[in-house]
This record gives sequence, C-alpha cells and structure tokens, in this order.
Amino acid sequence: MLELKGVTLAYGPVTAVHEATLRVAQGEIVTLIGANGAGKTTILRAVSRLIKPKSGAITFEGRDITGLSPDKVVRLGLAHCPEGRQVLALQSVRDNLELGAYIRSDTAGIRQDLDMVFGLFPRLRERAAQLAGTLSGGEQQMLAIGRALMCRPRLLLLDEPSLGLAPIIAQEIFHIIANLNQQGMTILLVEQNAHMAMRTAHRAYVLEAGLIVAQGDAKALAGDERVRKAYLG
Amino acid sequence: MSLAWFLQNLVNGLSIGSVYAVFALGYTLVFSVLGILNFAHGAVFTLGAYLTYVLAVGEFGLNGLLAGMTLPFKLPFALALLAGALLSGLAGVAVEHLAFRPLRKRGADALLALVSSLGVALILVNLIQYLFGAEIYSFPSDVLGTLPPAVILHVGEGLVAMRTIQVVLFGVSLLLLIGLAWFIQFTKQGKALRAVAENPDTASLLGISVDAFILGTFFISGLLGGLSGTLIGVSFGLSGPYFGVAYGLKALAVIVLGGLGSIPGAVLGGLVIGLAEAFLPPDMSSFKEAVPYALLFIVLLVRPQGLLGKNAEEKV
Repeated sequence: MLELKGVTLAYGPVTAVHEATLRVAQGEIVTLIGANGAGKTTILRAVSRLIKPKSGAITFEGRDITGLSPDKVVRLGLAHCPEGRQVLALQSVRDNLELGAYIRSDTAGIRQDLDMVFGLFPRLRERAAQLAGTLSGGEQQMLAIGRALMCRPRLLLLDEPSLGLAPIIAQEIFHIIANLNQQGMTILLVEQNAHMAMRTAHRAYVLEAGLIVAQGDAKALAGDERVRKAYLG
Repeated sequence: MSLAWFLQNLVNGLSIGSVYAVFALGYTLVFSVLGILNFAHGAVFTLGAYLTYVLAVGEFGLNGLLAGMTLPFKLPFALALLAGALLSGLAGVAVEHLAFRPLRKRGADALLALVSSLGVALILVNLIQYLFGAEIYSFPSDVLGTLPPAVILHVGEGLVAMRTIQVVLFGVSLLLLIGLAWFIQFTKQGKALRAVAENPDTASLLGISVDAFILGTFFISGLLGGLSGTLIGVSFGLSGPYFGVAYGLKALAVIVLGGLGSIPGAVLGGLVIGLAEAFLPPDMSSFKEAVPYALLFIVLLVRPQGLLGKNAEEKV
C-alpha cells in the first residue's frame, strides 16, 4: 500500500534519514520504533509531504506521491495524525472534527462518521462544544485521532499517540488503535513506547540515527537480543 | 454640549470609524494568517480609490501618462465601487505573488517580507503617479446620482446633519463587517481559514490548501483596502498618489490599539479612533491627525496588548 524506496531526508545540510526503504501492506499495523531523534517523525512528515525528500521515491497504492502537496495526499486517502496532537486549540471539538472532513462534501456521511468518532471516544461527545485547547492531553489525543479518521483514510499515520499520556490512557489509545485495525484500517505507527507498539503491531522497523537497522515480524523482533537491550529495556 | 451636538459627532465618528475598521481589517487578516504586516495595503487603498474614480467618472485627470483619456463608458457609483474593489482584490493577489510568495517558498525570515511589501508599495504608488498624475482628484458632487446630499434631523433645539455619503460609508462598512464575521465564524471555508491561521502544517494535513487560502486572504484584504480607499476618497477627495500613506499609518494605529491580529479588535479600534477624532473640540482641530497616536500611546501604557489583544504567551 505504502512504499518508500531509498528515501533520504535532510534538514538543510543535516541528513536526518539515510536511504530508508520500507513498506506497509493493506491491513497491517507497522510500527517504526527508535530513540528520540532517530528520524521517525521525519519519515512520517515526508510521507505526508510536509518535507521534501532529497532523493528516493514514495508511492501510495502504486501512485508516486513524491511531488504532491500535503493537501493532495490527504485527498488520496492518507491521514496523518501529527506528533504533539496539534489540535486546533482555538476551535471547538466539533469544528475540529468537521475540519477533519474538510475534503468531503457528503453531509450525511460526515454526520455518520461524526457519530462513529463520538462512539469511539464518548468523552469527545460530552465536550463537543468546548474549545479543543481546554481538553486534557488524553482527550486531545483522542480528538487528533478522531479528526484523522474523519477524512475516511485508507492509511493512517500515527505519530507518538502515547506521548505524555498517563499509562492507563495510553493503553486505552492502543486498544482503540488495535480495534481500528481489526475493522480494516491500515496503520503506520511511530512510537517511543516500543513495548506497547511491538505488542500492537504486526511488523516493525527499528530506526537508529537515521538508519533502518532492523526489521521484521514484531513478535520475532521483540525477542531479538539487540532490540530488547536497546529499546525494550 | 447639547444632545444634537453629541448625535452629530456620533454620526461623524461612526461613519468614518467604520471605514477605518474595514481598512484595518485588511491588515489584520493578512497578519493573522502570515504573522506579517503587509505594508502595500495602503497603496492598494489608493489604487482602489483611483480605479473606482475612473470607472465612475469615465475620464482621467490633466497630468500623468493617461491624461485626457476617456473611457467609452461610465459605471453607476455602486457598480464602480464593486468593480474597483474587485480589481483591488486582484492587486492584493499580485502583492502576494510579488512580495510574499517568493520569500515564503524559500523559507525566508518573515521580516524580509515586510521589507519587500514596502518595496511593492513604493512601486504601486509611483505607478499611480506615473499613470494618473500627482494632482488632486475629486469625485463630482453628483456621483451618488439623484440622492439628496444630506438628511437634516431636528433634535430638540438643534440640528443633526447626516450626509448621504456618511450613510453610504457606514452602511457599506457594516455590511462588509457582518458578512466577513459570519464567513469566518460559521462557514466551512471560514473555519478552514482559521485553521490555516492557527497552524498551517496541521491545516494542510487536513487537506486544506494553505497556498490557496493565503491567496484568498490577500484578495479579501485588497478588496477591503480598495473599498475603504474609495469610500474615504468620495468623502474627502483623493489628495494625490500618497493619499493612502497617512491613512495606512492611521490604520496601523487602529490595529495596534485594538490588539494585533484580533478581528473584533480592529473593528473596535477603528470605531474608537473615528469617534475620538469626531469628538475633538473644534478649537483643537489642528491636532486631529495626532489623535490616533495619542490615544494609542495612552492605551498601550495601560494595556500593552491593545484593547482586545491576547497576552503574548496566549497568542498562537
């Protein structure tokens, strides 16, 4: 479904990711783990076109998206739930969700999906009229995921969904991620919490200082001595 | 200090103040999306006034490259105002393309765009002088057609004169302000615009084309600028190609007074400065141009963030 081939990413003269090659197949949860600054977020930002690769190609459902602008990529069915949640703090919860459906114009379908998101996250329904900036961290994360779902994506990019959350809320979020996947959503998950990510994902890539150093079945990789030492403690 | 005196000043203050508000909103819109002041806004204000003049009167002045030329048609004032405003909107788009976009695409410091917008302003003003000449243009007194020049109301012992142009100023401004507020607050595209203003990266991840919204913002901003230029031009005459400079500075005082980047602030600031000018005692009228800045000075001493501005740490 998603394929990166030899993608090199740089901020100015500093190379952040070197020739990354990875793929995500339909129906999978693939996780990208690694230490802070390894380049995980950078890869997601390249997929959704917020940064331009120096070299390499990114294809989505067989289509080269390397030259598209970010808003065009969303229209192809690829939603990115960014790091730090990035809810629109000055707009209401409902407006945030409705803006998630910005690319759609089927009013009935949008209302249906709004109900679906409220069903997934009942707390968002209670707070629908509240400004998003007044939500707690966990609620903001729910809003960010809900908002990404509102465009009916086929591939969901999740960047650090557990960052800064209490363990119990993080668990809840991972539970929902697994559920979404069971309903058919393909997910590329970036996480620092390698434990939870490996348990939820089918396959994993391990990123170290901009290089993919290991990859494979998540369970097998979780048993790998090196990976365990470095990331699972 | 009669009621009539009070009402007369209220009418004068509200009519000019509402135009200040419309003009200042043009700055505010661009500022809230890009975080930069567009110094070409005053030049677009001037351009709008000149374009509307030519469309309504059908001829150019006695100087400049286009001296003595006439148009094959004359538009009724309302149409000329609309056409002039739309053309000013296009001028706003041109400003974006010339002064802002090239720098933004290279990731340049925002301050550089401020300087390049100043450069575009100079080019525009000199182009106006080159084409239209440096003379004073005055809209003919019958520009509003057969409408009476003023309505006189009897209030107690005194009289209150509402000039027709004042009613036009206030009416057009009010319509624009309400329409714009509704658009930004309640429509899908208005919410998307606020998303772009709050966080362009996030907006683009929702499928919102940030470039298109920036362009649209410059169009609306130019439209507001050209329209307010025309309204003030009809009211007081066009004193030459530099006529927008003084008003441009005044509008800057308006937005800082109201709170930089705040839309209600721009409206409130415009009305406050219009009213303050109107209520200035007649024997102090030589200080009229100083009123906005004196007021600004006093307000900033008490509220550095302006009347409706947010504290710096709360601002997004």
